[in-house]
Amino acid sequence: MNRLTYIGARLIKTVLITIAVVLLSFFLVRLAPGDTATVMAGQAGFADEAFMKSLRAEYGLDQPLPVQLWKYLSAVAQGDLGSSFVRRQPVVDVILERLPNTLLLNAFALLVAIAGGVAMGMMAARRPGSATDAAMTVLSMLFYAMPQFWLGMMAMLVFSVWLGWLPPFGLETMGADYTGLTRIGDIAVHMILPGVTLALYFMASYARLTRTAMIEVADQDFVKTARAKGISEGQVARRHILRNALVPLITFAGLQSAILVGGSVLVENVFSWPGVGTLAYEAVTTRDNPLLLGIFIVTAVLVSLFNLATDIAYSIADPRVELGR
Amino acid sequence: MGEPLIDIRDLIVALPPGADRAHAVDGVSLTINPNEILCIVGESGSGKSLTAHAVMGLLPRGVTASGGQILFGGADLLRLPPSGIRKLRGRDIAMIFQDPMAALNPVVTIGRQITEQIRAHRAIPEKEALELAGGLLAEMGLADPKALLKSFPHQLSGGQRQRVMIAMALSLSPKLLIADEPTTALDVTTQAQILKLIKRIQTERAMSVLFITHDFGVVADMADRVAVMRHGRVVEEGAAAEVLGNPKHSYTRALIAAVPRGESALQPVAQDKPLLTVTELSKHFRRGGFFSGSAAVTAVDRVSLTLSRGETLGIVGESGSGKSTLARCVIRLLDPDAGEILFDGADIARMTPGALRPLRRRIQMVFQDPFSSLNPRQTVGEIVIAGPRAYGEDMKEARERAADILRLVGLNPETMNRFPHEFSGGQRQRIGLARALMLKPDILIADEPVSALDVTVQAQVLKLLDDVRQQMNLAMLFITHDMRVAAQVCHRVMVMRHGQVVESGPTGTVFAAPSSDYTRALLAAIPGRGKLAPV
Amino acid sequence: MRNFLRVFLSRPIPLVGLVIFAVVVALALLAPLLFARGPFTIVGMPLLPPGAPGLLVGSDVLGRDMAVGLAYGARISLLVGITSTLGAVGIGVLLGAVAGYYGGWLDDLLMRVTEFFQIIPSFVLLMVLVAFMQPSLSSTVIGIALITWPQVARVVRGEFLSLRGREFVQAARTLGMGDARIIFTQVLPNALPPIIVVGSMMVGSAILTESALSFLGLGDPNLLSWGSMIGGSRSAMWVAWWTTVLPGLAIMITVLALNFIGDGLNDALNPRRRR
Repeated sequence: MNRLTYIGARLIKTVLITIAVVLLSFFLVRLAPGDTATVMAGQAGFADEAFMKSLRAEYGLDQPLPVQLWKYLSAVAQGDLGSSFVRRQPVVDVILERLPNTLLLNAFALLVAIAGGVAMGMMAARRPGSATDAAMTVLSMLFYAMPQFWLGMMAMLVFSVWLGWLPPFGLETMGADYTGLTRIGDIAVHMILPGVTLALYFMASYARLTRTAMIEVADQDFVKTARAKGISEGQVARRHILRNALVPLITFAGLQSAILVGGSVLVENVFSWPGVGTLAYEAVTTRDNPLLLGIFIVTAVLVSLFNLATDIAYSIADPRVELGR
Repeated sequence: MGEPLIDIRDLIVALPPGADRAHAVDGVSLTINPNEILCIVGESGSGKSLTAHAVMGLLPRGVTASGGQILFGGADLLRLPPSGIRKLRGRDIAMIFQDPMAALNPVVTIGRQITEQIRAHRAIPEKEALELAGGLLAEMGLADPKALLKSFPHQLSGGQRQRVMIAMALSLSPKLLIADEPTTALDVTTQAQILKLIKRIQTERAMSVLFITHDFGVVADMADRVAVMRHGRVVEEGAAAEVLGNPKHSYTRALIAAVPRGESALQPVAQDKPLLTVTELSKHFRRGGFFSGSAAVTAVDRVSLTLSRGETLGIVGESGSGKSTLARCVIRLLDPDAGEILFDGADIARMTPGALRPLRRRIQMVFQDPFSSLNPRQTVGEIVIAGPRAYGEDMKEARERAADILRLVGLNPETMNRFPHEFSGGQRQRIGLARALMLKPDILIADEPVSALDVTVQAQVLKLLDDVRQQMNLAMLFITHDMRVAAQVCHRVMVMRHGQVVESGPTGTVFAAPSSDYTRALLAAIPGRGKLAPV
Repeated sequence: MRNFLRVFLSRPIPLVGLVIFAVVVALALLAPLLFARGPFTIVGMPLLPPGAPGLLVGSDVLGRDMAVGLAYGARISLLVGITSTLGAVGIGVLLGAVAGYYGGWLDDLLMRVTEFFQIIPSFVLLMVLVAFMQPSLSSTVIGIALITWPQVARVVRGEFLSLRGREFVQAARTLGMGDARIIFTQVLPNALPPIIVVGSMMVGSAILTESALSFLGLGDPNLLSWGSMIGGSRSAMWVAWWTTVLPGLAIMITVLALNFIGDGLNDALNPRRRR
């Protein structure tokens, strides 16, 4: 099994996951009481039997399940996720409009989490049992125990309400109409609170993982070999310990991205960040089921694509991948 | 003789508080002269390895050299600053380790790992260092060094990896090479090649080697001088011929006596009607899935054998020979793909679990790993009576018999209330044997039962197995990678390679006049063969 | 067992966790006795600060007693945390054990399913599940159990797979023991510690998930929980910090206590870490 067949296998896995997500969605719709027709009739304000029937025919709801499934699958394959009840717009368009903001926030949070977490983990691993290490453990335990949305609200309370350092809401200053660099700076300032809130929980995870991996790798024979070569401790740490400790981190980043997206739904809501997360909340409050489902499908596909990317990165970082996992 | 290269004086290595003893090395004084191989030999816990690591300044976390001196080139290595000892490491003193897979960084190419060492001490460009590395690999007898430099460790065989380690160690022509059990993780034929290589480069380069081993056979092959260690102290030291030929200390004598000589002492027993007849047994494993297709590996390939009451049949082979798979098929832990296993007239090869159950108790097994073969959450009593209980034997009766059996294997019956982790490796193997004997088996399969044990314990367990076989008139199938062990306990041997039988016959015949090249190679690879005096 | 208790109770952190958890449980059980009038009763002016007459920790946006809300909220958190974990552990142990012990197509299938659940954003799926089933206590519990059981199954499967290959389990087979006997006397006792540890940690994360759901308005509309208290006070945060700070602290302390207990269990049940 060489790297190409490995990547091929992962690619097929990504496709299969996407198909599974869509299949799952098709059956999830049937969880909700009443079908699309009843809901639409409810929205229209009258539930005349003939009208319902015509609606059912229009949406193909009177056809056998396999036919409906096939229609659904082919629609999704063409990028049609249905239309939003409330906005009367294709779901895909609504989501795509908000997606860049969510991607920006998540990418920022991921970077902060990895950079901060790896640095913290390395510090803690240098002297297991030291005060730094203990402080790190306590901090990560605290972050694990806090609801993320609440952490965001507390950060807002301290840094916006009490100290007034950072803007509490939104993507940019409303009505300021900045352009160019000023606008980028304005968005960056707005991103600090939600981004760091989102990152903190994961930073704790990365710190823990880095610490464990570093300590584990440091005990292995090849580190002894490296020392026996007469290279400096810094080189031993960088080239041998860190290099190997980072390998599991790549896979971890992939797996954590699903949780990151879940956290982003909450954090976006706290800070009114105009992304997919606030959109999901709006969908919940307005009972816009097609929109909510669309968000699930889009985020699931994005996360599995990100996992594909981390899998490829992993296959580059660890040559042993050809041994098969 | 002149100045020694290394002069170790009263070395004390302290273990962290809470360890079972305060000092792992307790006042060791040794010298290593230029151009000689000094072997330190000892069992596990003797402090031999920590002594070597102390010279390198590479003691594990928490372990410290708390006393004594290690003099090298006029300086005391124990008192050099970290930067000072780092300059010596790799350049003047180099080291190779037991497991070459673990000792190489899995994610860095072989070439970079060697050049890293060269460039740590010499300011030369990477390209030049790579050329040097390629030359070294060729010198180690490795084919196609150019391709090897670009390879990763997992793409190499065990023997190749250890050659790479040696090439790396020699890259700056050190004055001293420390080899810490460098062949213990390797197959016996590979071991012989690596030992020969170390001997050759030592002579060619007129360097010194500090060679750590547990095997007196290896000592006989390698050493100019020998130091025997026990419980952190040197009990005997001297020229190799002197120590091997005329050991002074009783512990040395016991150690040497415990080494199986590789000469067969047992005559085949008269073959009456065989109890077990295996015919054309095969077992394939499918691996991979999805993409790599399902490549079948034939682990056991049409193997036939017979086994009678009262005899021990040895199945000998290196790793991957299929010997363990064969044993697991015979006891039906694995289902064979083809062939038949006639046990007492019935073919058990394809028997359903229900039909097999009454026969199962009559074939029992002793496992290799004394640590994983006993359930850590059960007491010795529970472990030993589990078999009879599964067949509905009365609890009280089973416990009474268990006491007898424990006594038979040399354990105090009071051990029944204790847990496995309270016992040593040798004692655990006795418990495993007791568990098997509780079912009064006809056949006992012993799968590498002594390979995880120290040599003196090994000798005791081998003797116990042989005694039990005689007393209970057992038929024994003895799986081992060690020709010497096979010679000691087996009436007949069967040599396996790549799943096939290469040769079989009475042990004496096979050892004295092997008919296949492979068997000859295995025999030639026995360390110290013919160099140790008969017991 | 005695040994286990000694190790578990000998360290301060698990003990602290146990004490805090006991207090939360007591509060939850006694809430109807202490505050018979229920959490929705309006007792005074809205947004009275802690220490106002008769209000230990203040009142919320609607003038309800925060202390009563906190006590009743504990009931929801514990109920959801414990029942959803029991459900997830039940499904996970059963499927994980069968897959790990027998292998084969069932194992393949289970591995694909757990991988699927690892890769999809399960909180978004949970939102969909609860929204489509209609928010209620039971949809919350069912939803959380449905998205978390694969975690348990993964752990159990791994344990069973590795234990199945261990020599003492092979020895049990050669001794003629049947599968059921081997699973219950040899494998399960050795696999139990990680299951207990994962379970104890999952109660905490289920409490967090429940609070997130009710913060978003996806909790049971007829029940007051810590998450919905925070969600309902968002607009008041600027003027009355206690309305959001206190329920959040309650969640954090409860989850922290559970994690302390889990950590202690891990130390006490894992002999390798003990040494």
